[in-house]
Amino acid sequence: MPRLRRYARSLLFDPAPADDLVQSTLERALSHWHQFDQRRDMLVWLLSIAHNAFLDQRRRDHRLSIVDPAQIEAQVDAQRADPGADVGLRLDLSAALSRLPPEQREPLLLVGVEQLSYAECAEALGIPIGTVMSRVSRGRAALREHLDGRSRPDGVRTLRRVI
Amino acid sequence: MNTTTFPDPPDDERLSAWLDGELDATARAEVDAWLREHPEDAARARLWAADRDALRARFDPVLDEPIPPALLQTVAQAGRGGPAPALVQPVWRRVAVAAGLLVTGALVGGLAGVAALSGDPARLATLPLPWVDPSQPRSGSWTHRAAVAHAVYAPEVRHPVEVNVAAGSATEQRAQEEHLARWLSKRLDLPVRLYDLRAQGFELVGGRLLPDAAGPSAQLMYQNGAGQRITLYLRKPEAGAAAAFRFQRDGELNLFYWVEDGFGCALVGKLPREQLLALAEAIYKQVEDGIRPTPATKAPAS
Repeated sequence: MPRLRRYARSLLFDPAPADDLVQSTLERALSHWHQFDQRRDMLVWLLSIAHNAFLDQRRRDHRLSIVDPAQIEAQVDAQRADPGADVGLRLDLSAALSRLPPEQREPLLLVGVEQLSYAECAEALGIPIGTVMSRVSRGRAALREHLDGRSRPDGVRTLRRVI
Repeated sequence: MNTTTFPDPPDDERLSAWLDGELDATARAEVDAWLREHPEDAARARLWAADRDALRARFDPVLDEPIPPALLQTVAQAGRGGPAPALVQPVWRRVAVAAGLLVTGALVGGLAGVAALSGDPARLATLPLPWVDPSQPRSGSWTHRAAVAHAVYAPEVRHPVEVNVAAGSATEQRAQEEHLARWLSKRLDLPVRLYDLRAQGFELVGGRLLPDAAGPSAQLMYQNGAGQRITLYLRKPEAGAAAAFRFQRDGELNLFYWVEDGFGCALVGKLPREQLLALAEAIYKQVEDGIRPTPATKAPAS
């Protein structure tokens, strides 16, 4: 369970939503336990369930997202405060990670932090190995760009400057 | 190393795969050579590695956090017959019986342990749940010793085994095989058989006696046409050891191990999991069937 929690935390950052994800992963795992092939790696299996739960949650959040005027204003303020061409801008690691699209973030974390092989990562995410390879490398390059402050701030996303 | 005809410069994907150890030996050597000549690419790879290490450092502390009681509760309830008793419990037994194996050390072991000690989350959090991290073997475990023994002897060129069954004439080989099986059986107090993996492309090289925690263990070594080696570590499990059939990773080695009826064995190799599983199943079947390989039919060494 600690590794599941670590993965959830690296996806969602905040402990509470991350543990919610672990919770729904465990519930799914328990109710689908009969589908688990014991010769498979349990961790890969649990991570694939976590991945699906994560996607479902994102879809649900997207559908239900309520536009909070205060939040939009805060975003606009943040954008104004951010000159955009600030070359010295450095996002901290979590912020840089959060700016990666999930389809790059997940493989990067599974391979980099969870240390799965490309084959296991492909299994967990249900994508071909070649796709894992390209997404890991693109995620890696993008993360580095964010950390170097070379990337352009993109539109409405708030930038978390945690330095 | 030919430095005049370099292959194409490694692109990001290749460099990334190199960093993740996903390239085969030839490709890896090519990238190694390229990076030696191209410091700017080497610097980029170093930055990527540093980012990876930073990510690990950022999230590794989560591993040491106590597990929230609510999460333990979820598992404990299922184990006690909470929300999905009909689904969870009978299935364990069916799976275990069908496979002729007990699923332990995995989720079920965790569930049973948690269920047995229900109601005290603080105590539960400190329990060494067997499924806490299946891919990280404890350094004192016998499967780790099996992996270490593999790492020590598999690369040996001249003395990979104590008793070599692949040298000499067919008659000599046969004699060595009989000697090896008899010797190891006697020392381990186990019916050691020389499992036949020729259908999977692996020939027996030989075996050796090794020290285990409480007594002797044995290592059989097999090799295929490509020179890849796998080792089978055999030992007598502690009395009362739970039956299991499990997969584990130890560094860059994969291993399948199983324990049952006073017989413990671990198959170790750098092979992909699927390939190793096929070999493990072949051995398991031979253990179960009690089939003694027939060395007489063995092709003469080439």
